[in-house]
Amino acid sequence: MQNVKDTFYITLRNRLAALNPQRVVMLRGVQRPGILVEEAEAPMSQLPSDVFVLRWTVLNADTQLPSTLTQMTCEIHYATGGTQTNSGLDRGRAMAEMDAELLSILQPASAQKMDYTQTPAAQMETLVFWTAPEFSPLATSRERLMRVVKVNVFAFEEQGE
Amino acid sequence: MMSTATVTNFMALPVVTRRVRAYFAPVNRTNQTPTIFDPSQNAQFPLDVPPAPWIDLGWIEDFARKSASTFSALNTGVPATTQYQVREAVGATVSFRFKTWNKLTMALACGSQHMNLLQPASGSAANGSGAKAMPAVSVQAGSTPTFIALNAGDTANFSAGALVAVDVDYAGQTGFVGSGVSAAYLRSAAAVNNDADYIRRVTFNVARVAQVTPGGLTLAQPLIAGTPANAMKAQPILGFVDREGGSFFQEWSALFVMPGEQGERIFFHYPRLQAMQGAQETNDVLAAPLERVALNASFRALPVTDTNDGEQVVCFRSFLPAPVALV
Repeated sequence: MQNVKDTFYITLRNRLAALNPQRVVMLRGVQRPGILVEEAEAPMSQLPSDVFVLRWTVLNADTQLPSTLTQMTCEIHYATGGTQTNSGLDRGRAMAEMDAELLSILQPASAQKMDYTQTPAAQMETLVFWTAPEFSPLATSRERLMRVVKVNVFAFEEQGE
Repeated sequence: MMSTATVTNFMALPVVTRRVRAYFAPVNRTNQTPTIFDPSQNAQFPLDVPPAPWIDLGWIEDFARKSASTFSALNTGVPATTQYQVREAVGATVSFRFKTWNKLTMALACGSQHMNLLQPASGSAANGSGAKAMPAVSVQAGSTPTFIALNAGDTANFSAGALVAVDVDYAGQTGFVGSGVSAAYLRSAAAVNNDADYIRRVTFNVARVAQVTPGGLTLAQPLIAGTPANAMKAQPILGFVDREGGSFFQEWSALFVMPGEQGERIFFHYPRLQAMQGAQETNDVLAAPLERVALNASFRALPVTDTNDGEQVVCFRSFLPAPVALV
């Protein structure tokens, strides 16, 4: 299942880097595309702004198939307060931009499953695929707008996984 | 030495099961000889490794058996009372859904001939069940169920991951055709335009190619007909096609196993099943908009003679109790 999580994250990361190279985040002294996996970073009291944060929640498995079909829910959290230049008055526009970016990088809704525990990463046999995003209503917390998007990610378990 | 171990037993327990597994074996259509499953000899087989020649069809869903046998009362006297019962008809049907799609499950569920989409010859006219095919190549000596020996020059049409059909040329014969499993019944050569590729178009003797070597094709799965005969030829295929319509009834020997949670097993063995509906599917929503597509299957059971007592029967139900249950 880790291969599924890794594949989903790196697929979105690469697509985001190609779509909007300006969306970046500085993490542990390194500038990276503005998307991260919450469980792979140090705990934080508040999710960073203008960054997509992936949080894995529900896991289901259909074991009555020749290969187990796993279904994992990925919540993608993001928030923005707009830009300082515009005193945050552009936060709605910034949120719309992130909505559009997320819609874009989730298409196409599948990717070749990869094993990133190897160097170089090894291509596996099956595809990881996911549902259309389910956008939550916009929430407001002080000066920030926040949204959560749910995506159900599916994959067949392969031999050795 | 006499065993002194004792076992604490329970009264007979209800059977609790969570799923049903299906297995296929061919029927010799020419001789009307099904494959018989003998639970007294093979009941404890590992579910992933059925005894030959049974082939695993995987877990199925919505399994439902129905007795179609009918009974009547013979009444005599005034007022009439039932003195005897007569069995007017013996019959049974079984329906379920295949969770997975492959050559066998599609073919059994579709209700008629099931065809392979042969790699088309360049410039062939379009046809709903596949165009005229590119030429087949001869299988050479040294082949096995998982290796098709070919002349070095004949491997060019194949690649790793490709699908291949292996069977003899059609040479004007009539009757059942297809190696391993009877795949069609031909009344005349004219009906199939005397097409040399027709048997490979319907054969169940198909597999995926794992590797192409100068000496032939290593297969990722064994051929259902076993070691290819010398007269057979190999042809690349792209997939499968079936039709609503057609005149042929597939027939197969079926075994269904319900493993109980306490180690018991229930077997339903239908030596002869024929489809009683055309191709249909059911879509189950995984998470919108993703749906899993299952193959609907519905069959009528045909009779065999139980050699223990000469009775005509259509189904055998066997039960192996849990190790701890009193019987």
